[in-house]
Amino acid sequence: MNKQDTKGVLVYIETAGGAPVKVSEEILEPARQIAAKSGSDVTAVVIGENIGDAAAQIAEKGADTVIAIDSPDYKDYNLDAYADVLRQVIDDVKPEAVLIGATQDGKDIAPKLAAAFDSASASDVVGIDFDDDGNIIWTMPAYSGNILYDAVIEEARPQIGTIRSGTFKKLEEAPKGSVESRDIKAADDVIKAVIRDSVKEMAESVNLEEAEIIVSGGRGMGTKENFQQVVDLAQLLGGVVGATRPAIEDGWIPRNHQVGQSGKIVAPKLYIACGISGATQHLTGIVNSDYIVAINKDEDAPIFEVANIGIVGDVNKVLPVMFEEIKKIKEEA
Amino acid sequence: MNILLCAKQVPDDAVEVSMGADGKPAIDKIDKVVNAFDTYALEMAARFKEAAGEGEITVLCVGPDDAKNGLKNCLAVGGDYAYLASDEAFEGSDMQGIASILKDAIRKIEADKGIAFDIVCTGKEATDMALGQGGILLADKLGTGVITNVIAFDTDENGVSAKQETEEGYRTVAADLPVVLTISKPDYDPRFPKIKAKLAARKKPIEAVAADALSDEGKAAAGEGNAKLKILRSYEPPKKESGVKIQEESDEDSALAAVKMMTEAKVL
Repeated sequence: MNKQDTKGVLVYIETAGGAPVKVSEEILEPARQIAAKSGSDVTAVVIGENIGDAAAQIAEKGADTVIAIDSPDYKDYNLDAYADVLRQVIDDVKPEAVLIGATQDGKDIAPKLAAAFDSASASDVVGIDFDDDGNIIWTMPAYSGNILYDAVIEEARPQIGTIRSGTFKKLEEAPKGSVESRDIKAADDVIKAVIRDSVKEMAESVNLEEAEIIVSGGRGMGTKENFQQVVDLAQLLGGVVGATRPAIEDGWIPRNHQVGQSGKIVAPKLYIACGISGATQHLTGIVNSDYIVAINKDEDAPIFEVANIGIVGDVNKVLPVMFEEIKKIKEEA
Repeated sequence: MNILLCAKQVPDDAVEVSMGADGKPAIDKIDKVVNAFDTYALEMAARFKEAAGEGEITVLCVGPDDAKNGLKNCLAVGGDYAYLASDEAFEGSDMQGIASILKDAIRKIEADKGIAFDIVCTGKEATDMALGQGGILLADKLGTGVITNVIAFDTDENGVSAKQETEEGYRTVAADLPVVLTISKPDYDPRFPKIKAKLAARKKPIEAVAADALSDEGKAAAGEGNAKLKILRSYEPPKKESGVKIQEESDEDSALAAVKMMTEAKVL
């Protein structure tokens, strides 16, 4: 697309169980920033079946216009179909930028759109700014988060970015937008892969991204039995259980509890790291936490470099005392 | 079944990367390894080939001359043939550029050998830049379907059926051949090379693909000058200030002191 023909920001709203996923609401914040910079509007797109409520909700959360594409055809997600529908909307709206939450599916859709418009997409964006020409400067992590880099898409349009969960906060106040229903069909020849079956292996869904309190355990817990203390403390605090890759590989807890570069990027108010040494791949996922408490026997463990409180000691001795003490406080309150 | 693996050589991801004095990530002194997800892809392809009792695996890499080492390693653990696409004109390419180079290299290998690849596989992302775009962009250029985050796949007369890992389980995804698969970590580890295989791999040739293999479209996409995503600068993230360390006489006392501080900080 010609740069001068484009204006405004388009946001793809991913839904799960009929509601927008958290990061989809968060990306309305940078979308408003970009729109304010160019004096333009934010258009959100919701695709699925029975997504009326989700569309109405997004109209309250920062989108000027919500395009709802509600059809049994889109009951189930299909990369080729959803990307083609978005392509048609983008062709029509001609936005300068397209923002997508960096979920697994979002990260598949973004390069499909980049290919369709011969543009580029920034992956797992952790911050935005603008250059002197008004192009978006995308900040992205590299080398397991040890390095950050800034990049721009100078001429190609739309500028596309997938935004990492927890990078932006949902807008507290937003202008009220309107919902517009559209009937858009994916082109017949675009669907090249079809989902035959979708299986939920994990008994419960784990909402690490929205959790206010997370208690996580790592290899330092020692055994599956000991790991139960992490689960117990999380329950006591009304929090969610997290884990490192080694704890998951040892079978102590299902993989949907994984926090870190290859798991969930989290930003709770309180993160308690139990027996976690703090490999970069894990730290990358927790640095946006407001308050980090770490328990580890090795006083040089990297986790202590990011912790507000670092307890040097045997996690299996510290946790039971912590549990009882917190329980006492809760009961008194 | 002809399988092509796109592999990338990256700095060992077990080593923490910091910024160099030249304003670039200091990766020169870090050992180079084949991207972990590409090694999973190779192992999956090798197991598929062994189960089928036929087929050949060709490994293709875009990168500098020293990427030959990585290709040799691939030849020792299941790869049958190796190609290195290396040219000054390729340097600084963005993902669209890399995908164009891969596509043209694939078409050249197919023409030279008189074959057509049925499955093109690659890691779901590289451990250095972790963009996760290569497989999708390549499938778009090849005009094939793509299935991402694959942890198992099989083929039958209808094409390919793959198990796509999701956050809460998996999806079964079907597509026609040829297809592009991006591979995630399955529940097994890549094999270690046997000494005999290592020696044999050393003797195998690594074929070169240069810029003259590029189509007009490839020429317009490859290289730093054609990159649409331009990197401005790299830096280390600001370090979070570390707080208080507690190490009382006993672990019990430490725990009590910590809970007291947490209460004062009103985080409970």
